[in-house]
Amino acid sequence: MCRNKCGSRPRGGIWCHPDRMTETEGFVDQAVSGLADPQPMYKALRESTPVFRSPQVVVLSRLADIEMALKHTELFSSNMDAVDLGNIRPLIPLQVDPPEHAKYRRILDPLFTPREMARREPQVAALVNEMIDRFADRSECDFHEEFAVPLPCTVFLQLLGLPLDDLDQFLEWKDGVIRPEGASGYDGRHDASAGVAQQIYDYFERAIDDHIASPRDDVLSAMIAATIAGQPLSREELLDICFLFLIAGLDTVTDSLDCFFVYLARHPDHRHQLVEQPDILPSAIEELLRWETPVPGVARVAMADVEVGGCPISKGERVSPLLGAANTDPAEFPDPELVDFRRNPNRHRAFGGGPHRCLGSHLARMELRVALREFHRRIPDYEIKPGTQLAYTAALRSVESLPLTFPVATR
Amino acid sequence: MTRVEIDEDRCVGHGRCYTLAPDVFDADDVGHATVRTDKVAGDLETQAVDAERNCPEGAITLSP
Repeated sequence: MCRNKCGSRPRGGIWCHPDRMTETEGFVDQAVSGLADPQPMYKALRESTPVFRSPQVVVLSRLADIEMALKHTELFSSNMDAVDLGNIRPLIPLQVDPPEHAKYRRILDPLFTPREMARREPQVAALVNEMIDRFADRSECDFHEEFAVPLPCTVFLQLLGLPLDDLDQFLEWKDGVIRPEGASGYDGRHDASAGVAQQIYDYFERAIDDHIASPRDDVLSAMIAATIAGQPLSREELLDICFLFLIAGLDTVTDSLDCFFVYLARHPDHRHQLVEQPDILPSAIEELLRWETPVPGVARVAMADVEVGGCPISKGERVSPLLGAANTDPAEFPDPELVDFRRNPNRHRAFGGGPHRCLGSHLARMELRVALREFHRRIPDYEIKPGTQLAYTAALRSVESLPLTFPVATR
Repeated sequence: MTRVEIDEDRCVGHGRCYTLAPDVFDADDVGHATVRTDKVAGDLETQAVDAERNCPEGAITLSP
């Protein structure tokens, strides 16, 4: 008899090792409240229960299973049942599956290509330097509060052509839907987020009106002008895209910056390598994305009764492919615990894969590249202020505060 | 010479190939990969192999 929580019979013997369950459950419980070093949890899950049923979700931790789930959207849908952020219609394109999904990506993908992002790079570099100017002479900063949070949010406002004065309002909304107060687990989420969600819809209604009245060179104007088979996007479709951008584009780059700078502050040899060999930066970013996996998992829902690794999953169950576990799976990565800035090949899945591959991945890469390049050019040496206890946030891996100290910087 | 092919049904636009092997691959207007040089040798072959090994979707095929 299987003693796993699934209550089903083990098939193939992989996913039921009761003696290791307690350890794994402990890790998973911690993960819900934020985990500083999730890699041991990934390893324990992969090795003991690669298909792990927690009370709320079935967690997949082997790369092969994760890849299968990401590709097969007809079995593992990304629709509205997978996660509730208070939205009243499916977020586009995340919560629309193929084949309909393709028509939205056909419009949106061209706005986020590496080439398009390179065009925006000088503006981002100027912004990064302005932010560094604000604390460079002070020899300390709260990296999270003063850099990791405002950078992606400001870039987002510029990209969509929204007033920079709206920064604080955006930050409040983003947290209101991603980390709603009073919501625990999946089921309380809708009510906790719905009020904020309505304010977001109202804001973008006005922004769309404004962009229709005066079009300019930004992503929102391009979306309004775009057509699918001769038809423009409807008002609701535009709103559902904007809502998703707010959720997907702000927090994730903050998480990445926090994770990367904690790692680099604690690993001076790696940091020196970046400073001394700037050409290594692109591959270092890929390796930090692999190791840190700032978005540790994604949300799916089973569309039929299926079996993964001998474990039955019922139609309607929520499933989480754990990208961080895929990225440390020795089946793909030799020495997965080794952080090697020259790792090649590095087929990490930090941006997911399959049809829902992160739309903003090239924007994120550009922001991270510019941020790491400019920061280390000006502040090559820094450490986390002694005595700091880092508190990681749940689900997406940012820290609540990251005090750094450094010698006064050059310009 | 090594022949380079992309499975368009598999490519979802990670962009790894045309970043790592810009002389062999290019991007179309949605950022999906296209083959710029379909028969490669020498340095270009080295680039192509690098791209093939780094494609997260396994969308690149190299054949003799």
